[in-house]
Amino acid sequence: MLFLYRIIKFSFQDIVRNIWLSVATIMVLLLALFSINTLITVHLISNSAIQAVKTKINISLYLNADSTEAQISTLKTKISKLDNVQQVNYISKQSAINSFRVKYANNPQVLTALRELGRNPLSPSLTIVPRDFNESNLVINELKTLNNPIIESHDFSNNTLILTKINKLTKRINEVGLFIISIFILISLLVVYNAIRVAIYTHRREIEIMRLVGASNSFIYMPYLFSALIYSFLSVLIVILIFYPFLTLLQPYLNSFFLNYNINILAYFINNFVLIFGSQFLVVAVINAVASLFAVRKYAKI
Amino acid sequence: MINLDNISKTYQGQVKVLTDVNILIKPGEFVSIVGQSGAGKTTLVRLLIGEEHVDQGRIIIGDWDITKISRHEVPYLRRQIGVIFQDFKLIRKKTLEENVSFALQVSGAKPNKIKKIVPSVLKIVGLDAEKNRYPHEVSGGEQQRTAIARALVHQPKILLADEPTGNLDAINANDIVNLLLRINKFGTTVVLVTHNKEIVNRLNRRVITMDHGQIINDQERGKYLL
Repeated sequence: MLFLYRIIKFSFQDIVRNIWLSVATIMVLLLALFSINTLITVHLISNSAIQAVKTKINISLYLNADSTEAQISTLKTKISKLDNVQQVNYISKQSAINSFRVKYANNPQVLTALRELGRNPLSPSLTIVPRDFNESNLVINELKTLNNPIIESHDFSNNTLILTKINKLTKRINEVGLFIISIFILISLLVVYNAIRVAIYTHRREIEIMRLVGASNSFIYMPYLFSALIYSFLSVLIVILIFYPFLTLLQPYLNSFFLNYNINILAYFINNFVLIFGSQFLVVAVINAVASLFAVRKYAKI
Repeated sequence: MINLDNISKTYQGQVKVLTDVNILIKPGEFVSIVGQSGAGKTTLVRLLIGEEHVDQGRIIIGDWDITKISRHEVPYLRRQIGVIFQDFKLIRKKTLEENVSFALQVSGAKPNKIKKIVPSVLKIVGLDAEKNRYPHEVSGGEQQRTAIARALVHQPKILLADEPTGNLDAINANDIVNLLLRINKFGTTVVLVTHNKEIVNRLNRRVITMDHGQIINDQERGKYLL
């Protein structure tokens, strides 16, 4: 206990006596952590955007208006049995017109035109949900081979193209993100290493005296390891204090941008608090501890 | 007892600084090791505190063969040997008392022990009134006395003094030597490494003279020969 108490005491003395060096070290760690968390946020938003687009992917088969329920049911069963199909929904003429009316409830011109037409111009349809949205092409190819007379037309709109583009973009964002994270980790590693090196250089005389009067090696390097832990803890704590208000401010913009989609980054960070910030603390602490250990070994010749 | 048995030391495999040195120092002795710069005196001190290893021979302190002492064991050796240097090696931001207690703190001594020992050693070296002053506020002699106090807190059986008067005027130098003699009277073995002729001659104790890494003279009541 006494050993621990003295290590903590010497460590805090070191942090306070080199206050600007400590502040600079924490600032660099803070920048690295902030950029990592920003990249996590960007990653989450892009993932959410992809999910939103995926739910909009609509593989539809439009059927002849005079198709019988039996014919439609047979076709639906046939499609349901396809390998890559997860679900098939039947939308009757009536439910299609109902949805249309709801969708254009605020557009009197469209509704007037529909009324003037005097009949339901919409066809019944089957909406197909693929098992894997990334492989919706396979479903489309299978549907193209169907040769059923009740199929009037189909809508294989360019959703796959959009999906491919978004996937490409996400991949690019992740690649750039990984590059930026790597650069920041490298920079923070070097800066922390140098900060510890300078701290140890300024304490060389003290370390020499400690060794001279019989201090054990662990007593010499433990305060520096403890300082590294303090730097890590403070930087993670500050990034939490900065990042949560930032997310709180960002959330309303996300809500309005992704209208009708439940994208809650703040909730994600709250629900995964321990995983996100715990792992960040661990990684930063390990990097700092290793840097401290190397610096002490090199400059104190332990 | 310190036994240097036929030791040799070479730096970088070429520069031979000690050659076949044999010294036996009995417990409670006061020995001066003299010689000009480059004679090998400081290397001898570095070997005795485990800072360097010999290439050949053996070093025994008490019952402990420190010839191949590991890095891990060095702190324990240094708690048994007090060392003082020409440049005092005090921490500037600590008071004299803090400098002395620091030696006990880093070796894990309990606060009660520190409270008991530190004032008594400060009294022995005559610094109890100055204990709250910082090194830059006192004279060189007082700084060296603080270093001696710090060396004494572990109650060592051996005190190594490497040119302790090198930075001091004659009066302060005499004070330090008198203090070393007092410490020796308590039974501590004192090894004084110096090239101060006046002090060695005044002491009239055992003198080992070194030259070019070899012992050229060893007298029971010797004088400075060079």
